[in-house]
Amino acid sequence: MSDARAVVSARGLVKRYKGMCALDGVDLEIHAGEIVVIVGPSGSGKSTLIRCLNGLETIDAGSIRIDGREIPSQAREEWRLARQRIGMVFQDYSLFPHFTVLRNITLAPIRAGRLSPEEADKTARRLLERVGLGGYANAYPAELSGGQQQRVAIVRALAMAPEVMLFDEPTSALDPEMIREVLDVMRQLSSAGMTMAIVTHEMGFAREVADRIVFIDRGRIVETGAPEQFLRSPRSPRLQEFLAKIL
Amino acid sequence: MELILKNMPLFLQGLERTFVLATLTLLFSTVISAIVGVMSVTRFRILRIVALAYVEFFRGVPLIVNVLFVYFGAPLVGLSLGPFQAAIVSFTLWGSANGAEIVRGGFNSVPKHQIASAMALGLKPWEIMWFVIGPQALLPIIPPFTGLFTLLVQATSLGAIVGLTEFFRTGQIVVERVTIMTGDNPAYLIYGFVLFTYMAICSVLTSLTRWLELHIGQRRGRDVRRGPAPLLPASRTVESV
Repeated sequence: MSDARAVVSARGLVKRYKGMCALDGVDLEIHAGEIVVIVGPSGSGKSTLIRCLNGLETIDAGSIRIDGREIPSQAREEWRLARQRIGMVFQDYSLFPHFTVLRNITLAPIRAGRLSPEEADKTARRLLERVGLGGYANAYPAELSGGQQQRVAIVRALAMAPEVMLFDEPTSALDPEMIREVLDVMRQLSSAGMTMAIVTHEMGFAREVADRIVFIDRGRIVETGAPEQFLRSPRSPRLQEFLAKIL
Repeated sequence: MELILKNMPLFLQGLERTFVLATLTLLFSTVISAIVGVMSVTRFRILRIVALAYVEFFRGVPLIVNVLFVYFGAPLVGLSLGPFQAAIVSFTLWGSANGAEIVRGGFNSVPKHQIASAMALGLKPWEIMWFVIGPQALLPIIPPFTGLFTLLVQATSLGAIVGLTEFFRTGQIVVERVTIMTGDNPAYLIYGFVLFTYMAICSVLTSLTRWLELHIGQRRGRDVRRGPAPLLPASRTVESV
């Protein structure tokens, strides 16, 4: 894995909020085809980290490279273009409530000139079919359950044909019975070879799909490893403590 | 009743003035409100400050003072405004300041994560405004804007103080004239008529915008307001501290 090219690479990331250090020198590389799961207690900086990776947060020090090219925090336009290649799914789905499901999905690819309206329409319907929402193209987000909305949000990101997908606690806001349907879609993506970085608390899912799990605490990466080794024999006491709490 | 009918041509003239005045004021106020409102939520600090100063200034000035100041103050900056122009300018300045504040409130009512998710899709700033934030801000803006519209219609009667013969002033003239000619004072009758006419105009306006609100709500948002509340969970709040 490690010899593959890094799609996203972060070096020495520092992010401060009002004097507090949310990220304190984080290095992270995500290689093509790799699935990295990021875990950690709340407030550890994991959401901040993933939001930095597509430039939604500015950083105070360090650097982020997308496809080997460094993009500075202030380069808004460069970041905007980079984001067209980085899909992101949020905890709170964030579909546009005034658009139908179809329009939610086709807006960005059409505006970016990626797809013609007809192509976008076809792509959206195909992707919806794939996540089991074939009949919902003309529904409004408010008419869908949380799990369905989150699946639409994933499709919306996929419609841009991204090179990498970032997930920020995609199942944390969902009722338990809906978590599975979202994880199933993510499993599909993983077997299709999608490059992903996932912040989640679903350790079972992490063990199953992750190539690498990263444990972050108080803004630092404390431990990183393959799922088996990571979960079976955690080295650092802080990770041991964390795992004991959540497993 | 006869009195009113006999003076109808005069009333109609005044009413026409009032209509033109109100229409132009509403039109200009809406456009400027939108512009200043958008200015007040951009990320450009100078624009925000200018918008804020404008809003604060004109919201803090009584409309009647504003009308007089524009009328008499215009020559100071080399402009000579007739009563009609002065009235339109001052109503628009006042209406836009209040309208801009409503627009700003509308934009702020759109949850922040909508912007984040639009950014994450690589949309341009104006696209985010136009496709994502604007339409969502529109619905909550309509009811307070209706209120502003009716206020502005009523405000046009202040044109009378700079000598504009609009509907209210017409009523005044009729009262004076009848009093002089017949010795009777028909004030209660005439002002009653004037009162009902303003009321009628405003309720037509209100029902029009109510229809618009319903229409837009149905076509676009459906259950936007009642949709599953997007969670802004504790973990996020903690994390961003």
